[in-house]
Amino acid sequence: MWVKAVGRKSGWSLVTLWFVLSFNFFLFRIMPGDPIALLARSQRLSPAALIEQRRILGLDQALPLQYVTYLRQTLSGNLGVSMISGTPVTSIIGSRIWPTVLLVGVGTTLAIILGVIGGIAGGWNRGSSLDRSSLYGSMVLYSTPEGWLGMLVLIVLAGTLGWFPAGGYSSGAASGMAHVTDVAKHLVLPVITLTLSYMGQFLIVMRSSLVDIKEEDFIGIARAKGLTDAMVRRRHAVPNAFLPSFTLIVLSFGFVLGGAIVIETVFSWPGLGLLTYQAIQNQDYPVLQAIFLLSSSTVIVANLLADLTYRFLDPRVEVV
Amino acid sequence: MWRLSPRVLLSAFILSLVGLSLAAPGAIAASPSSSPGAASVLRVGMTSGIDNPNIWAVTSVAEWEAVALQYDMLLKFSDKDLTAAPSLATSCDHSADYRVWTCKIRTGVKWSDGQPLTSRDIAFSFKFALDKNVPVFAGYFPGNPKFETPDDQTLIWRTKDPTNAPMVPAWSYVVPEHIWSKYLKSSLAEIKAVNVVPNVASGPYYLTSANPGQNWTFTRNPYFWGQKPAYDSVEFVLYTNQDAMVQALKNGEIAIADGVDSALLPAVSKLANVAVQKVTSDWWVNLAFNFGGQGTSSHPLAALKDLTVRKAIVMAIDKQAIVDKVYYGAGSPGDTIIRPLSAFWHLTVPSDKVIKYDPAGANSLLDAAGYRRGADGIRIDPKNGKPLVIRMPVSDDTAGSLPAGQLIAGYLKAIGITVNVQQVTAGKMSDIESSGNFDAYIWYWSGDPDPNYQLSAFTSAQCGGLSDGCFADPAYDAMFVKQGTIFDPVARQVIVKEMQQYLYDHIPGVALVYPSAIEAYRTDQVAGLTSVPGANGYLVPDYSYTSFVTAHPATASSGAPSSSGLPLWIWAVGALVVVAGGGLVVRRSAKRRDERE
Repeated sequence: MWVKAVGRKSGWSLVTLWFVLSFNFFLFRIMPGDPIALLARSQRLSPAALIEQRRILGLDQALPLQYVTYLRQTLSGNLGVSMISGTPVTSIIGSRIWPTVLLVGVGTTLAIILGVIGGIAGGWNRGSSLDRSSLYGSMVLYSTPEGWLGMLVLIVLAGTLGWFPAGGYSSGAASGMAHVTDVAKHLVLPVITLTLSYMGQFLIVMRSSLVDIKEEDFIGIARAKGLTDAMVRRRHAVPNAFLPSFTLIVLSFGFVLGGAIVIETVFSWPGLGLLTYQAIQNQDYPVLQAIFLLSSSTVIVANLLADLTYRFLDPRVEVV
Repeated sequence: MWRLSPRVLLSAFILSLVGLSLAAPGAIAASPSSSPGAASVLRVGMTSGIDNPNIWAVTSVAEWEAVALQYDMLLKFSDKDLTAAPSLATSCDHSADYRVWTCKIRTGVKWSDGQPLTSRDIAFSFKFALDKNVPVFAGYFPGNPKFETPDDQTLIWRTKDPTNAPMVPAWSYVVPEHIWSKYLKSSLAEIKAVNVVPNVASGPYYLTSANPGQNWTFTRNPYFWGQKPAYDSVEFVLYTNQDAMVQALKNGEIAIADGVDSALLPAVSKLANVAVQKVTSDWWVNLAFNFGGQGTSSHPLAALKDLTVRKAIVMAIDKQAIVDKVYYGAGSPGDTIIRPLSAFWHLTVPSDKVIKYDPAGANSLLDAAGYRRGADGIRIDPKNGKPLVIRMPVSDDTAGSLPAGQLIAGYLKAIGITVNVQQVTAGKMSDIESSGNFDAYIWYWSGDPDPNYQLSAFTSAQCGGLSDGCFADPAYDAMFVKQGTIFDPVARQVIVKEMQQYLYDHIPGVALVYPSAIEAYRTDQVAGLTSVPGANGYLVPDYSYTSFVTAHPATASSGAPSSSGLPLWIWAVGALVVVAGGGLVVRRSAKRRDERE
């Protein structure tokens, strides 16, 4: 039964992946504009040179033929070359994955930890000043545009106070420990922005879930057994209230490889989010397709994992 | 006995992160970043992409600047006016029929790896660009020339038809044959993917480290044939956010900010120890009119074919106000289609031929031509009874195009012409242009130092190609052909200026504004920069590396970042948080243990 369910869910995930693959291809080709024609202006290319560029990139072929070529190449691991830089897309994506994992991974982890702890503290002490301030504060942060918050952080901490670099991933050709601390120094501002922007959702979900659980009968029974308030919260309330947060956390990690487009752009952080922004600007189809494929795949896999692991967290849930 | 529970470990992890985030920047700031004897670095902030340092894949402005910093040309753009000047070739002489050019190559030139640079490298580079049909370079070798190298110091450039191509000068760089000859059988796609780090070049600096999308480091070439540059290295740093680049300039992380947005000019001008260079434009904002003929849905406003209407439009537009309001004064009103940066070719329209800003005169002109106002104040075309309503898309990749378009809509409303301004992406604009589904549009143009490319865009042969709106004029076409047969620069200059005047008078479009490119640099970090071309030229290598050869540190500073890092009190608070947090964790852990016991 379990194996069958896993097979069925995995199968549907593969179908979704094929849909994403096809959608990616057609989506970018129905976008207005001709990326090669744009080169005429920016690169002073002659009409003959433009025709040659179209031929090299296969854009002179019929759309169905391009689609078949695209599917064949993608399935064989060839994601093509960038229309702009001429570099293989796999190497471009490869160089951008680690910065994104570092930024979004650290930022999301911190947001989860702070959000969940804040949600527990607020939800367990509902109506207290701690609850009100953390709730309102997180709602304000959650609704604040990331770009605006990032600009504030940038102008104050980098520009005015000069405590941190204004952008980028590192300062140059440093190596070893110097490189590590250099990257950490560049990481601080985007991580602060990302953490502040993302923690609100975790706090709100954890808090509301805990507020509901707190009214359940088994909490009263636990207290009647003589357990301390902290033990009731830790052993009985939080584990039961954590399920909605768990779903949110797993899905959030699924989005890690999607990057943080706005924050990476504000802080010139060379991750997949910034690459997405640049590829959209340049109408670099192969790069866009690869990024969307990668981010969609991770979300699909994260969803699958969440579905499958729920059973272990809550035996009442049946995997079908 | 104490036991480390998962919660204790988690808490310790969080505190460590807090501690690291506080300590790491401080550690950097506390390190001796500008110790005596440290390597001097010239850091330059860029806003355009630095993705592929391979010369055959050059695309963005920053990548062109990286190429200009590293490589030499046969003849270079002069530092004065971008005409041909000695570089690897000390001279190039032509035969009487302009079919054979003989260039004398400089002696003693070496590549950055110590190998000698000879005429064979030059011939190889040009053949390679032609054979591989490298789009950005191949066009500079018209007539499929043959290159001969009778000796190491002589290059012969031979063509079937007369040519002046070497003296344009040919904007194609010289690469080492001993490196690139390995790729003679490779496709251009494969060649573009070749890793060129560390690079081999002949200019003052060569690339030694490249983090795509982040920063590129260039090291001083020990074998450079010219004046020894003062900086040990140059670093290009990418900022995808203009404000971030300005903040980096403000706190001294970078010495030069390249390509500053004009909207930030007021803020940058106020920064301490920062000087601003307003570079004479190498691009301009163009208002194009559609004359019809391209695409299948081209139904432009017929009244725009009437020169009187176009002239009235020009008279109604206050170009200086657009410069002041949209570009914060950083620029100049446009006049002709050859950019002023090409000073030798650019025509400054004589004052008696300038179409001056005169809205009252524009109204009179239209009245006299029979364009009466309707009940709603919009003028009616007397030939077909249609109101003068112009569809005018503006491209979002042209800085200031939307506010400029809105100002123009206001100006033309005053003379009874309605303009519907719509901002579109550059991609959408290319669709609109090729379909001809517009009456006028605002988009940028940028040209070569040589005027041929830009002049060709207004020939009837380019309808459906480079032409904006299919302007077709046999007299102009004939002038274009004629200028291509004149090889003496001074004689050619005459007809090139006549052509500019012709276009100015016949108004196929309007050069609205030459916006300045804005560069800013820290006067306490760098000095000795040389602008090219002329006093209002670029400081960052664009056409020539001269500026970074003459640049030197302004003080004893090494040019290292001068940001202050975290102050001591933050360190103290951080340490307090770590200690207090640790104490809390231990206490709570002990309490839980008691509870369990």
